[in-house]
Amino acid sequence: MAVIELLLNGEKKSVDVDPQMPLLWAIRDYAGLTGTKFGCGIAQCGSCTVLVDGGPIRSCAVTTAAVEGLEITTVEGLAKDNEHPVQQAWIEEQVPQCGYCQSGQIMSAVALLDKNSNPSDAEIDDAMSGVLCRCGTYPRIRRAIKKAAKI
Amino acid sequence: MKTSTISRRKFMQLTSVSGVFLAVGCVPGSRGEERIANISNDVSLALNQFISIGQNSRVTLFNHRPEMGQGTFQSIPMILAEELEVDINNVIIKQSEADQEKYGWQMVVGSHSIQNEFEKLRKMGAAAKEILLQAAADQWGTTISDCVAKNGVVTCSSSGKSLSYGELVEAASKLKAPEEPKLKDPENFSVIGQSVPRQDIPLKTNGKAIYGIDISVPGMLHASIERSPVFLGEVLDFNEKEVLAVPGVKHVFKTQRNVFGRNREGVAVLAESYWAAEQGRKALKVRWNNGDLESNTSASIMEEFRKASNGKGDELFSRGNAYEVFSKSQEVMEASYEAPYQSHVPMEPMNAIVSVKNNSAEFWGSTQNPNGIRSYLAKQLEIPEENVKINYTFMGGGFGRRSLTDVAEEAADLSKKAGVPVKVTWTREDDQTQGPFRACSLNVMRGVLKNGKVVALEHKVVSQEIRNQTGENMTAGRQLMGGINTEYAITNLAVRGVLRKLYVPISYWRAVYHSTNPFAHESFIDELAVKAGKDPLDFRLEMMKDHARFRKVLEVVAEKTNWYGTKKPNTGRGVAICERSGAHFAMVVEVERKDGRVKPTKITTALDLGICVNPDTVKAQTEGSVVMGLTAAYYGLTIEKGRIAEQNFDTYPLLRIGECPEIVTHIIQSTADPDGAGESGLPTVAPALVNAIFDLTGRRIRKLPVDLRKIS
Ligand code: FES
Ligand code: FES
Repeated sequence: MAVIELLLNGEKKSVDVDPQMPLLWAIRDYAGLTGTKFGCGIAQCGSCTVLVDGGPIRSCAVTTAAVEGLEITTVEGLAKDNEHPVQQAWIEEQVPQCGYCQSGQIMSAVALLDKNSNPSDAEIDDAMSGVLCRCGTYPRIRRAIKKAAKI
Repeated sequence: MKTSTISRRKFMQLTSVSGVFLAVGCVPGSRGEERIANISNDVSLALNQFISIGQNSRVTLFNHRPEMGQGTFQSIPMILAEELEVDINNVIIKQSEADQEKYGWQMVVGSHSIQNEFEKLRKMGAAAKEILLQAAADQWGTTISDCVAKNGVVTCSSSGKSLSYGELVEAASKLKAPEEPKLKDPENFSVIGQSVPRQDIPLKTNGKAIYGIDISVPGMLHASIERSPVFLGEVLDFNEKEVLAVPGVKHVFKTQRNVFGRNREGVAVLAESYWAAEQGRKALKVRWNNGDLESNTSASIMEEFRKASNGKGDELFSRGNAYEVFSKSQEVMEASYEAPYQSHVPMEPMNAIVSVKNNSAEFWGSTQNPNGIRSYLAKQLEIPEENVKINYTFMGGGFGRRSLTDVAEEAADLSKKAGVPVKVTWTREDDQTQGPFRACSLNVMRGVLKNGKVVALEHKVVSQEIRNQTGENMTAGRQLMGGINTEYAITNLAVRGVLRKLYVPISYWRAVYHSTNPFAHESFIDELAVKAGKDPLDFRLEMMKDHARFRKVLEVVAEKTNWYGTKKPNTGRGVAICERSGAHFAMVVEVERKDGRVKPTKITTALDLGICVNPDTVKAQTEGSVVMGLTAAYYGLTIEKGRIAEQNFDTYPLLRIGECPEIVTHIIQSTADPDGAGESGLPTVAPALVNAIFDLTGRRIRKLPVDLRKIS
């Protein structure tokens, strides 16, 4: 065990954990932010996607020690009350069904739009292809990303 | 406030539709916290178990069905709001408690929530409205026919006076509600039939929605359970000491539970955190006695099915005499179709927390079946049902998997052993490999054409049956014929079942047997159409000419896809129809060959499911069914050495966004009672897809999964 200082959604948060434990569990079980989800544990589903220094990473596949001091953003850190354009577009397009994969989808979309404010279909498919949705919300995700690009 | 001093019992005595109670407490996963705080400051009076109204006119509607993504969290309150005459966008929606006496059976399966509850919910809304009208009429000394309710306000037609529901609720709550209230004419519906935004959605875009896996309770331990990959393996021994030495690990227990009449053994590692439990499990070495089960493979199972298919089978449906026609015909067409086992793969891995105490128990988690868990715990622990508290949350997908109580059973067993609350979380690998699965299936079709018409058809299903997995009874039950369309005007039709019993556990999976049988049925109808030299859509239309609903959906899908127009080069189209949960679907899949690869580009559905409560939700469910149907067409599970080979998403992928075609859904307007929407889009996907591939390539796919990379 070791005390690791995380910079989580703009706030410092110390967690006393096994440094090899994936960041996902530090966020969920130690920092208490449960919006980031566990789906596969092997970097295959994207449910656990968070931003580290603005880029999307699979938090199940990164150790807690590796991100010490880096800026981590989870879905809870996007806005106070769904004000982020991606969240707005997600609500307007009524994207989520069960909702479980959606923070991974949203974080990936945020990262995409930060880099590319007007992505094409192919660019959307490319950036989002690592985030699986069993409920099949893909058509709406495409629409919502295009809408968010305009907000 | 005066009313707050009235005891709960007193309220219960004031009869309304089903008793009255104070709306307090909340179930995790209900509306946003601020709103809940709001309601507990104000005294809210219940007019029945679904509706309570604050004296500030705040309306709270209770959804009594667990939400797994199907959207009834919104649709059920919409039905209440319609008859109650309140603004649906201005109500608080809360999840009800799990109480079968109060709400009836709450399990969400078979797309039944709207279908079965529609009338009851309308009556609940209408009965509450009627006592509000009566309370107003009493106050004004008039009759209710002189009063009109609209938007949460009652207005007196003769005097023009008005009172809000909040002003009337106290008096109304003391009145006896009618059992047969007057219902609105569906022509006048103003909420039902509108696409109303779902109140659960904002909670699912900011991380606030709570799922079972997100809950912790004080003092709980986390458990991870190793089971034999060969399902029925028995524990010979395990290295308890080494596991206990892993930091954070508290206990290692042998555990067992009953799965469809069979004992499943396992070894559970209990630790302070999920991560520690996983580390303990990694250190765990169990020796299993798997008997001779390791000799099983997918191929050996199919081989056995094929042999069994030579038997006569049990009659499940019969019209005319297909066998007589076969015996007299020169040419009997025959084809067999195969579909593999599938895993449910809800994105939220299975989990449950149970706390067992002396004479009580409590459950927290995501379940399709809260009443089932409650009665299981009461029975198993020999405690009264009132002492079992069920806290059910949003589910990260269900698809039938969460209708089982298995994980709660494990948590209860471990909580009893450890003396503290225990949270069991399955890994993705557990979820993928432990089942129960969607059954694999072999379907043998035979048919005879005469003058371009089908005169005889036999559909023989060889599969396991969910309701009859163990024991001596080898007679196939009607469950096996799910999804076999008997509505085609075919004079001689026989449906037979050949029941197989295997050690592989199976269960309900989205659309159940409708996810396999229509693949064979609708593919073979296509084969017959081709043989008869007919257009496959016309061929179906002809056999459905007296069936108004199928005819309509076929006509609409033909029109919307320009079916009779000229086809672009390098494209193909396939059609399929099916009825599931009363809903009638016609689907056209369009495929295209590009750069040597074949892929679906557009999937168009026409559906008739009677009154459509929230059309956008029905569209979402259809999109979801199409995506799940495509995934099941492309991927499947295989058994090697008696166990599931595909352990996680790297070998058992789900459809990805780039593989998702355009999906267009047309809803037929109807005033008939609603049918189910949650599964009905799935059955037609595989057959319409393979029919389209045939149309383009001339190649007939009779075995799923289909690897599109191998088709050109
Ligand atoms: S949980 Fe991290 S990618 Fe699936
Ligand atoms: S919304 Fe359910 S998995 Fe994506």
